[in-house]
Amino acid sequence: MLKLYTISSTISFKNARKTLFSNSFNTIITLLIILFISVACFNTFEWLIFKANWKVVISNLPLYAFGSFPANEQWRPATWIISLLSLSIFTLWGPEWKWLRKNLLIVWVGTIPLGLYLLYGGLGLSPIMSRQWGGLTLTILLTVCSSLLSLPIGIVLALCRQSSLPMVQKLSSIFIDVMRAIPLIAVLFFGQLLIPLFLPVEIEIDRVWRAIFAFTLFVSAYIAEDIRGGLQSIPNTQIEAANSLGLNQYQIIQYILIPQALRIALPALTNQSIGLFQNTSLMAILGLVELLGIGRSILANPEFIGQYIEVYVWLACVYWIVCTIMAVLARHLEQRMTINQANF
Amino acid sequence: MKPIVVAKNLTKSYTKGLRALDNVSLTVNQGKVLVVMGPSGSGKSTLIRTFNGLENFDRGELNILGIKVDSTHDERKIQKIRRRVGMVFQQFNLFPHLSILENITLAPVHVQKRRQADAEEYAMYLLNQMGIDSHAKKYPSQLSGGEQQRVAIARALALKPELLLFDEPTSALDPERINEVLDAMRRLARQGMTMVVVTHEIGFAKDVSDQVLFMDSGKVIETSPPNIFFSNAKHERSRKFLNQLDKQ
Repeated sequence: MLKLYTISSTISFKNARKTLFSNSFNTIITLLIILFISVACFNTFEWLIFKANWKVVISNLPLYAFGSFPANEQWRPATWIISLLSLSIFTLWGPEWKWLRKNLLIVWVGTIPLGLYLLYGGLGLSPIMSRQWGGLTLTILLTVCSSLLSLPIGIVLALCRQSSLPMVQKLSSIFIDVMRAIPLIAVLFFGQLLIPLFLPVEIEIDRVWRAIFAFTLFVSAYIAEDIRGGLQSIPNTQIEAANSLGLNQYQIIQYILIPQALRIALPALTNQSIGLFQNTSLMAILGLVELLGIGRSILANPEFIGQYIEVYVWLACVYWIVCTIMAVLARHLEQRMTINQANF
Repeated sequence: MKPIVVAKNLTKSYTKGLRALDNVSLTVNQGKVLVVMGPSGSGKSTLIRTFNGLENFDRGELNILGIKVDSTHDERKIQKIRRRVGMVFQQFNLFPHLSILENITLAPVHVQKRRQADAEEYAMYLLNQMGIDSHAKKYPSQLSGGEQQRVAIARALALKPELLLFDEPTSALDPERINEVLDAMRRLARQGMTMVVVTHEIGFAKDVSDQVLFMDSGKVIETSPPNIFFSNAKHERSRKFLNQLDKQ
């Protein structure tokens, strides 16, 4: 049996003495490491509490959250973010109401039109141009919209790659391989700079949507590969059983293959969406003022010039918090799925 | 006597020269049970898998429930057959992501377009017949092999088939679990279900079958009623096979 060396076995004092101070050499090393860690901790806290000037963060909190969204309308993105947060909390620790648990997915998907409505306005709310969107709101919007769009496209691409029609199979293979061979930043450049050149002058897609399409193209290729892995691990006997029950090809895909493939690919899909969330920061170079972009533009303000460390430490914390929430939600989903069928 | 399965000179070869099926002809009439025996690799699984189109064949003709199929493997006809023929596999092949009840109602709802409530009611009736209605909300992995195989039988019965195919239904089970599945199959036979069963269970074949078909290397060696086959088999090859089985 494989035995992993666990931290818990060294944590008690008795063990610590045996392992960390067993001879003079180990003792010296242990003391050096303790010294190093304490100095590092001390300096960090000293900087965090006394040296850092957090005014650059505190006085700009609305900017980080909403970008240059008009001040008297900022309740709109705030409502959206708070509804997302409370939905996360509800999903994790909420009561076990059956009808709500069943429809939770629909509620989650429903947050996207809600967010778009709150941001765009119209129908009673004053309309606001997408160039005024920004900050964390824009980062979340890019992530949510792109991952939701790329999931169905990824599924279709994966199925096409498995198709018996050579033309369909070749085309989707080429698309997937090309997308995976190009760096994301190049795809994003293409979306921002080249798409407007190809389209006739009358048709104008705004920059946020161009970014979302570029992310979708890129991520769907990766998602397609994750799902193809899931599809390939489903034994052929499943298809035989479904065939012998008289299900046709589309019913087999819909009821047998896709649910199982998604379940198998779920950890990989979580990875993709967390990666996508972090990659939205690339848009800062391409002129969208999402979370990182806002940080850069605040740093360009003469009042806060040079306070790089404060801003980037703060941004790192925000990215870390959101990623943690995403990871916890995904783990929760995985656990729910394994409760349904132990030993799947 | 209405013939349910009529096979004429079925021939199939996987690779050149090696024949999985070699001029197989047989008839199964309504309400009869045919047991197919033979050493592994003799083509018995291949044979019953041709009956619902899971395997194609190269030459010959097949008539299942009055629907004729030949080596062109017409998809539409095969779909028609599959709606009226149930199949039970050696490895159960339940859908792991669906509950027991969903496993059984999937085909009635989506293939026969029955109402969900009706399909569930009939599924519960079938599970009750199989003695496992208390597991309806569970998932396949939470059940023992014998229970899973009884679910698989209920799933095959949900489409109200006129013919049931069993491909070594007890070969993957623990010895003490075999009887619960065989008992369910015995009950079905008593109720007049037409069945083709590939199995090595001599006791079951003696009790239930009307004919025993013995195959070796793709050929039908002999077809006899069970009392003759097990006491006084006509063919030397069959006697040798039965001796081997006895020794185990």
